[in-house]
Amino acid sequence: MHNIDAHEFLNFLLNELVDILEKESQAAKGSSETSSPSEKIANGPRNLQVNGVQKEPLITWVHKNFQGILTNETRCLRCETVTARDETFFDLSLDIEQNSSITSCLKNFSSTETLNAEDKFFCDKCCSLQEAQKRMKIKKPPHILVIHLKRFKYIEQLGRYKKLSYRVVFPLELKLSNTMEDSDSEYSLFAVVVHVGSGPNHGHYVSLVKSHNHWLFFDDENVEMIDESAVQTFFGSSQEYSSNTDHGYILFYESIASDNKS
Amino acid sequence: MIHSSGNGMMSSSAASSSVGNSQSPGLKTYFKTPEGRYKLHFEKTHPAGLLHYAHGKAVTQVTLAQLKEKPAQLPPTPTGSSSAGGVRSAAARLLGGGNGSRALSFVGGNGASKAVAGSSRIGSMGVSSSSGSALCSNYDGKGTFLIFNVGDTVFISDFNSQDKDPIKSIHFSNSNPVCHAFDADAKDGHDLLIGLNSGDVYSVSLRQQLQDVGKKLVGAQHYNRDGSVNSSRCTSVAWVLEGDGAFVVTHADGNLYVYEKGKDGTGDSSFPVIKDQTQFSVAHARSSKSNPVSRWHICQGSINSISFSADGAYIATVGRDGYLRVFDYSKEQLICGVKSYYGALLCCAWSMDGKYILTGGEDDLVQVWSMDERKVVAWGEGHNSWVSGVSFDPFWSSPTSEGDVESVMYRFGSVGQDTQLLLWDLVMDELVVPLRRPSGGSPTFSTGSQSAHWDTLTPVGTLQPAPSMRDVPKLSPLVAHRVHNEPLSDLIFTQESVLTACREGHIKIWMRPAHCENQSSSSENVLSNSLKEKPLLSSKVGSYKQ
Repeated sequence: MHNIDAHEFLNFLLNELVDILEKESQAAKGSSETSSPSEKIANGPRNLQVNGVQKEPLITWVHKNFQGILTNETRCLRCETVTARDETFFDLSLDIEQNSSITSCLKNFSSTETLNAEDKFFCDKCCSLQEAQKRMKIKKPPHILVIHLKRFKYIEQLGRYKKLSYRVVFPLELKLSNTMEDSDSEYSLFAVVVHVGSGPNHGHYVSLVKSHNHWLFFDDENVEMIDESAVQTFFGSSQEYSSNTDHGYILFYESIASDNKS
Repeated sequence: MIHSSGNGMMSSSAASSSVGNSQSPGLKTYFKTPEGRYKLHFEKTHPAGLLHYAHGKAVTQVTLAQLKEKPAQLPPTPTGSSSAGGVRSAAARLLGGGNGSRALSFVGGNGASKAVAGSSRIGSMGVSSSSGSALCSNYDGKGTFLIFNVGDTVFISDFNSQDKDPIKSIHFSNSNPVCHAFDADAKDGHDLLIGLNSGDVYSVSLRQQLQDVGKKLVGAQHYNRDGSVNSSRCTSVAWVLEGDGAFVVTHADGNLYVYEKGKDGTGDSSFPVIKDQTQFSVAHARSSKSNPVSRWHICQGSINSISFSADGAYIATVGRDGYLRVFDYSKEQLICGVKSYYGALLCCAWSMDGKYILTGGEDDLVQVWSMDERKVVAWGEGHNSWVSGVSFDPFWSSPTSEGDVESVMYRFGSVGQDTQLLLWDLVMDELVVPLRRPSGGSPTFSTGSQSAHWDTLTPVGTLQPAPSMRDVPKLSPLVAHRVHNEPLSDLIFTQESVLTACREGHIKIWMRPAHCENQSSSSENVLSNSLKEKPLLSSKVGSYKQ
C-alpha cells in the first residue's frame, strides 16, 4: 500500500548514519578529549546541550559531503536591521512549477518574501511587530547538493496528496547563484532518483547513476547502460495527462573543484 | 472550423475562437510592446493524433522557404527577375535559406535589413502583400512555405493561406527528420536539405516535393547513407552562402561535415581517428571523389546548433560542452569562443551586421557575445527554463530620436522551454557593468577574475572560461508572453510577423503592430506609421530598460 517516500528515506538514512558514526566515535574515544575542536557547525542540530555539558559536534563524512548552511535573512522595513539565522541542511526541497527549470526553482527558493499583514515579523530592535523582507541564501554550499523536487503536494480541495507531473528540466551542470559568497561554484549531476507512477501512494522508484563517465539505469535487479541524452526523458510532462509517468524526484549534484579560478 | 475571415486580418473574435479551439486554452491572442500590439494572426499545425514527441529526439524546427517565380528546374538566368533581382535574392536568403543553423535562426540583425525592408514588397512575406502577381495555385509560381518536422514526418504549409493544415506531408520510414534548411538561390533545383536522427541527409527540390502527390521524398540525393560516414544524430544542416552547392551537417558526436551537393560519394570517405576529442581539428577527404569533402571535429559531445554570419564568412557553433565557438569558415580556423555560465548551449544566431551573436541554453540565460570586444556584453535574464531559440529581429529599425544621437539599438527575441516568447532591446550605451569591487578587495570576496583578460583582445583561437555573475551586465525583457502550452523550440522574424513554434509542431504567427493596425502594408505606410510612433516608443523603451 504505502510506498516509503524516497526523500523521507534519504533523510532517515543520513541521520541514522550520523547517529551510528557518533556512537562509534564515542565508543572509540571513551572519555578522552576530542581531537578536532575547531570544526564546529554553526547552530547545527548536533550542537546540543547534553546533560548540561557542551557536546563537541562530530564532523562525520556525512556532514562533510552533504551538509550546507542556509542563512535566513530578515530585514525589518522600519529600522532596516538585518537579522540572520543560520540553519544546516542535507538537501534543498524546492517548490516546482510547470515548464520550469531547476535554476528557476532555486531562484524562487531564494526570492525575497515580504512579511506583512497577519504575518509580521517581531523585530528585536523595534520591540514590535513590523513589516519585513525575508530571504533564504546559501551561506555554505555543500559538496554534494541534493535537490528534492516537491512533486507530492497536498491539495486542499481534494483533501489528499497529488503527484505533480510537471516538466522541470535539470541541467547536467549547475551553478548556485543564490550564495552569500560570489563563488559561482559549479556542480555536476551524477545521480537522479526517479519516481514512476501517477499518484503519491503507489508507484516504483528507479535511478540513474553516473559511474566512470557512463550513465547507468537501475531498476530493481536490472542495470543497463544508457546514453547521457536519455536523462532528459525524466524531466516530466508538459501536459497534465500524459502516458509518461517517470519523473525526476531527487537530484544529486557534486561540486566540481574550481581550482582553475584565480 | 476553418475561419474564412476574409482577407488578411482576422477579427479579434475569430482569432480568439480559433485559438480556443486549439490546444491553447487560457492563452492571450496578443501581446503588447512599446510600439504596439502583436496579434495572433493564424496558426499552423498538423493532423492530430500523430506520433507524440518521445525521447526528446524529434523537436519541431521550422524553416521558411520562399520559392521564386521561375521554375527552379531551369538553369537560373537573370532575365526573369527585373532590376530588383539582387534585392530579391538577398531577401530570400533572409527568409529562410542561406543561414543554416537551426533552420530557423535567421542571420538576423538590423542595419542591413533596412535596405531590404525599405526597398519594397519583394522581400515581404506576402501575407498581406498586395504585390502585383497573384499567388499561383500550382507550385510553379512563387510562394512562401513553412517546412517543419513532427515525429517521422516533414510537413509543408502554405505560409500565405489561412489554412491551419499543411498542404503536404513527407513521411520517413526509417528515421525521424530532425533538421532542415532551404536555399532560395540554389542552382540545379535542389534547395532543401533534410537531416535525420539516423545521421542520413537528403537534398531535394522543394518544388518537386510540392508537385508530387505521394507521401515520400522524391528525386532525393542521399548523403551519409545509413550513417556510413557518421551514424550519430544530425543536429543541424546549413547551406554555405555562395558555396556552389556546398552545405554543412553537424552531428551529435561533435563533428561537422562539409558536403558538395549532387556529388556521389564514391571515393573513400573515411577520416582519420580523432586523437583528442577535446581539440578542434579539420581533416580533408583522402579521395577527391569523396563526399563529404571534409570533417571538422569541433567538440566533445553534441553540436546543438550552428549559424553562419550574414556574409557567410563565419560560422558559430554551440554545443553540449557549453561553448560558443566562432570559426572563419574558409580558413577553417577557430577565431574565438566562450563558455556558457553553465550547462549546454542550445541555440545561436548572428546579428545582421555580424557584430553580435546571441546564444541560449541550459542556464536559462540569453547571452550576447560581441565580436568586436570579444566578450559577453550582456546576459538576458527572464526565462524560467532553458532557452531553445534566439534571433535578432532583422526588420527592426532603431528609433533615432531627434535630439540626441542614440547608439545603435538591436531588437532580438528568444523562446524557451518555459513556453514564453521574450523580446529584448539592446542599447549599447545603456549596458553598464555591475559595480566592480575595488581591486583592493573586501575581505569577503576573492579578487581578480578573468575579466582582466578582456582589457586586451585575446589571441585568435582562445576559448574563454565562463564569465562570473558579477562581471556581466544584465538585461530585462521588454515583453514576456506565454505563447503555447508546450515548451517552445523555434522563432523566426519576418517583415510582417513573428513566428513561434513549440516542440510538438504547433506554429503561431504574430502580426507586427504596424501590420495589425493598418490593413495596407505598402512600405510608405509602414514607414510613416513607425515615424508617428517614435516619440512614444523611445520614451517607453527608456523606462523599460534597466
